Amino acid sequence: MSADNPTTPPAGRYGEVFDRGYAHYTGDRLGRKQAFRSLVGYSMKRALGIRKSWTAKILPFLLYTAAVVPLVIMIGVSALVPDAGFASYSDYLAAIFLIVGIFVATAAPEMLCVDRRERTLPLYFSRAIARFDYVIAKIVAMTLLTMTLSMVPSIILWFGRQLVSDSPWQAMRDNIGDLWRVVFVGALIALVLGTGGLMISSFTDRKGVAVTVIVIGFVIVTGMANVGLELLEEYDWSRYLILFSIQDTFVAISDHLFRDAADWGAVQQADLSLPLYLGYVLALVVIGILVLRWRYSPRDES
Amino acid sequence: MVMTALETATTSTPDKPPVIEVRGLTKMFKRFIALDNVSLSIPHASVGLLGANGAGKTTLIRTLLGLSKPNSGSATVVGFDTQTQGTSVREHVGYMPEADALPMSTTAADFVGHMAEMSGLPARQARQRAADVLYQVGLSEERYRLIKGFSTGMRQRVKLAQSIVHDPDLVLLDEPTAGMDPQGRDDMLELVERIYRNLGIAVVFSSHILEDIERVCDYVVILDEGKLVTAQSLRQMETVRGQIIVRVDGDAGVFADELRRQGVEVRTDDVELGRDEMIVDDDDDRVYDLIRDLAVHQDVPLRSLRSRSRTLEDIYLNNVGAAREASDVSR
Repeated sequence: MSADNPTTPPAGRYGEVFDRGYAHYTGDRLGRKQAFRSLVGYSMKRALGIRKSWTAKILPFLLYTAAVVPLVIMIGVSALVPDAGFASYSDYLAAIFLIVGIFVATAAPEMLCVDRRERTLPLYFSRAIARFDYVIAKIVAMTLLTMTLSMVPSIILWFGRQLVSDSPWQAMRDNIGDLWRVVFVGALIALVLGTGGLMISSFTDRKGVAVTVIVIGFVIVTGMANVGLELLEEYDWSRYLILFSIQDTFVAISDHLFRDAADWGAVQQADLSLPLYLGYVLALVVIGILVLRWRYSPRDES
Repeated sequence: MVMTALETATTSTPDKPPVIEVRGLTKMFKRFIALDNVSLSIPHASVGLLGANGAGKTTLIRTLLGLSKPNSGSATVVGFDTQTQGTSVREHVGYMPEADALPMSTTAADFVGHMAEMSGLPARQARQRAADVLYQVGLSEERYRLIKGFSTGMRQRVKLAQSIVHDPDLVLLDEPTAGMDPQGRDDMLELVERIYRNLGIAVVFSSHILEDIERVCDYVVILDEGKLVTAQSLRQMETVRGQIIVRVDGDAGVFADELRRQGVEVRTDDVELGRDEMIVDDDDDRVYDLIRDLAVHQDVPLRSLRSRSRTLEDIYLNNVGAAREASDVSR
């Protein structure tokens, strides 16, 4: 872009005219990777309501508050009253699972349904990405965003536990293994719930429908699994019903890693192995990705 | 006037290689043939893609972008194969779809910047380009407003801005004037015209409105029922024989017969003609002289001689009509 910029303006001249003629772009073109990064970042911002009206920010703000404030109170109380103790990782995970679920139920439709409803997909698919890149970018964005709720509060819990001990530095070194387990479980929850939420959202362009199906589906399936476990206790196969309750499945995984969910009857009753749980949740992720890939295959052009 | 500054002139570049080359492209949707063995070469120009609704224009554009896989045939766009190098094609091509395709709760600057990044531009440059291009399309002041508050014309301009924000070599515009009021349409046509003439970006402009194509384009591709009818320069078409409407006193039929005997094609059965009129399908100087000499020789008073230049409409109707007749005969 060139500018007409005379060094000595004539007397009485109080303005200048700039030529803003079109300039061809000669800078870097970073291709597909940049497109992918941009799509991830943009999707995350939109799901959090960033650069949108203030009403779009209310729910994410409330959910983050609901996840973190009790934790801060718990750490504060433990610092003041040493005998008060902390919630176990598994109990805390179970407590925030609903919050994470609600977050996924609102964020996943925001990431996918809006693009379908507003018909921006042809614009995305006419850029430097492949269709599968779009799917993977959405999964990455959803997983990263969900991790802020499924992992970050647990990490704060871990730090809180160490900080209120008599020797925080020593406690951190002793319990570093727990930190990696916290990260692992948090990331896994985010991946599974995020992919599942996106998979369901890919079937509709109406956010409300997707939110309702995710929430009601979660509640109904979890409830039926728990009732089944209770009523069919005498049959050995009934213990596999725990796999229909995604919350109990993750509490069970957490229990395998931390050995701190003795109060969870369903988990103790099922008593399935960690590889089986992990294999199951990874299978859910693979199914979710395959369904999303199918939904965004070329025949699905809008 | 929409644009206030588009001053870097880059005009017609006839020496550049074709931007699109299509070979035997066929695309079917179940039993419906959307594109039927289409082969063509489109030069670096402002090209009109003309055809009735359902002629195959949008399918051709989508196939060229690699968004739709052809059943057979191949195509290269700006030197990249659409099937094997789809990402590269889309990195160097801009696309403006016909349908509404904008996120309503986003500002124009945000969205156009995001689209620049989606074409591979780094974030900072993308924001700068978005501001520049929105200025070029006349949305400088409104760029931080949410798109949902925009009029149809403004939304079309945002769509146009996102299609050129990454400085493509070619931009594919699918019915860019659809649904616009006369003033908005005029503004949009002016913008499209300048994209090629001032920015030097090759344009393929799909429309079923002949007048729009005639105004903006140098080259026209006509599709009908999925088949290529013709692909040639508009200037070349205009130099094709025009017509003369001859009006004489007395019996036009006798005068017409005499002209036919002299080897001139004459029609007297056109519905637009009066009883004393005829159409001579040639307008070169030799024919004018012949008509004058014949009138003198036969003592027939000539009332008028009017040259009727062929409009794109005539060309379209003649070509499409001929193509349909040929198709019927082959069946």
